[in-house]
Amino acid sequence: MMNFKKYINLITVVSVIAWLPTSQAMIAGHDHQAMMAKQEKATFDNKCKNAAIECAKTVTSAFAPNGDLWRLWVSNERLIAQISQDNGETFSKYKVLAIPAEKISARNENRPKIAFDNTGGVYLSWAMAREKKYTADVRFSYSHDYGKSFTKPITVNNDKLLAGHSFNEMLVSDKGDVSIVWLDGRIAHQLRKQGKKSKGSAIFLARANVKSTNNNNPAIFTNQLLANDTCVCCRIAMDFNQQGELAILWRHIYGDNIREFALLTLNQNEDKPKQPYQVSYDHWKINGCPHQGGAISVDEQDRYHMVWFNQGDVGKGIFYASSGDQGKTLTKPISVGDLSSQASHPHLNKNNDKIDIVWTQFNGMEHHLMHQRSFDNGKTFSQAAILAKAKNGSDRPFIIKKGNVSYVSWQRPKQGHWIKAL
Amino acid sequence: MIKLTSICLALAFCLMSCNGAQTQVDDPKIFTLQPFNQNAFIALKQQKLGVRWLMVVWSLDCPACFKELALIQKLQKATPNTALNVIYINADDNIDVAFERKQVLAVYGMQNVENFYFTDGQADRSRYLLDPNWYGELPRSYFVDEKGVFHGKSGLLDEVLISNWLLDK
Repeated sequence: MMNFKKYINLITVVSVIAWLPTSQAMIAGHDHQAMMAKQEKATFDNKCKNAAIECAKTVTSAFAPNGDLWRLWVSNERLIAQISQDNGETFSKYKVLAIPAEKISARNENRPKIAFDNTGGVYLSWAMAREKKYTADVRFSYSHDYGKSFTKPITVNNDKLLAGHSFNEMLVSDKGDVSIVWLDGRIAHQLRKQGKKSKGSAIFLARANVKSTNNNNPAIFTNQLLANDTCVCCRIAMDFNQQGELAILWRHIYGDNIREFALLTLNQNEDKPKQPYQVSYDHWKINGCPHQGGAISVDEQDRYHMVWFNQGDVGKGIFYASSGDQGKTLTKPISVGDLSSQASHPHLNKNNDKIDIVWTQFNGMEHHLMHQRSFDNGKTFSQAAILAKAKNGSDRPFIIKKGNVSYVSWQRPKQGHWIKAL
Repeated sequence: MIKLTSICLALAFCLMSCNGAQTQVDDPKIFTLQPFNQNAFIALKQQKLGVRWLMVVWSLDCPACFKELALIQKLQKATPNTALNVIYINADDNIDVAFERKQVLAVYGMQNVENFYFTDGQADRSRYLLDPNWYGELPRSYFVDEKGVFHGKSGLLDEVLISNWLLDK
């Protein structure tokens, strides 16, 4: 008989779950539960026909400069938005944005993004699935009148290839300078055509100022390669540093499928991007999809604060670390959350003297939105606390900022969107 | 034989990825697709006690998963007289992908083997039921021995490893 260990070393042994008895009472209970579930489903389906936010798998939220909270989701290939003028206590009637229907990606790490300028401009970007599996285009639309109308969507990637372009992230400066980064498959596509092997995706950056554009004079985005050999299925994270430069964090593929995080700052005085710094050393070797990106937040002293998730031989779970020199050196990573409770999907934000980290945990029955805070620049953190619970699944949580106050946005499918100040 | 297998694989990928509505499977008949839950898992483990099998968890959002499905399909084609003991679980807990899921099963010749899927909104619960020490990375495979002990591995499996396990080499 074959000894399994002969063939493989990196294996975890899972205990066999004990058999459970079934009784008539349980069956009767199940019938009642099934009936209730059917009724709930009918009510829910009816809501979904009306684009209710409970039906969305993902929600994107952001504060506009005027203090309005926008939340955005996708229903039937349309972008839906609501605005709150009281920080999420109540929302306006939802609005189907004036953008034609198309196949907008909105699940897991890949979802639409929204940003604003200081003159009422609203900026949207998303990935639109194309006709071939794993192909998509990064799309963009702009509203000069605070969402009443939008420009005809344009494709941001300029390669005109039926290839992967997705996992877009977007930042917009007060002056309306748009920066969009995404995972791009054009190099891998070309290599495959030549019969050569490729390793993951690449990160591209597009830039434009679209404030003077319209449907007759559409925006033209530059496209610039920032890095090659990146993970294909983890979100990118991005923030401005104190010089207004982009700091970008992503999951890179080092060597033979070692998935570690890399950090790159696009310094203004450099013609081309320098080599990114490796910032995690957890040695997660996987030829597959982790589906977990990181997060970055740059503070007033230009210190970069980061969180990530890994399942490596050296490091497992969520880690926090910071860097005062754009990633060249790093503080010793601090473990965050309870790994045995499935701690994952971390996000963070630095706001004045506070660093907030949120993530999710799961106990087999429900998800918990977890939070901890540091008042000493990340040296120590408060004990983790449960902020909210979800019973029907969980989206990734995100921290968004309104002035000196940080808020957590957490979509709970079939239950409702949760947003509260920290 | 190798050439024929390559052609079959290329065709399968084309059906999957070339996606033109005309080239896709319009109404795939899947005979063994059921939701994954505690009762199903218990029954499955009971049914398989005493034999060695492989469980493969895959997703539509995971390119490496399709490589693994293709490897197993290739092995099955190479051993037509042996029904490989593989159970598949689709981890997309999204009611909107029901049709796409069936298309994949048809393309990779999985219509008549046992298939499960995570029900809408239940991915984490299903994952926890299957293995509380798995964090959702894909593909995820379990080598289950004759005593019902699960050996989990994340990432694309080696072809030889699959072959040796399933063909008892």
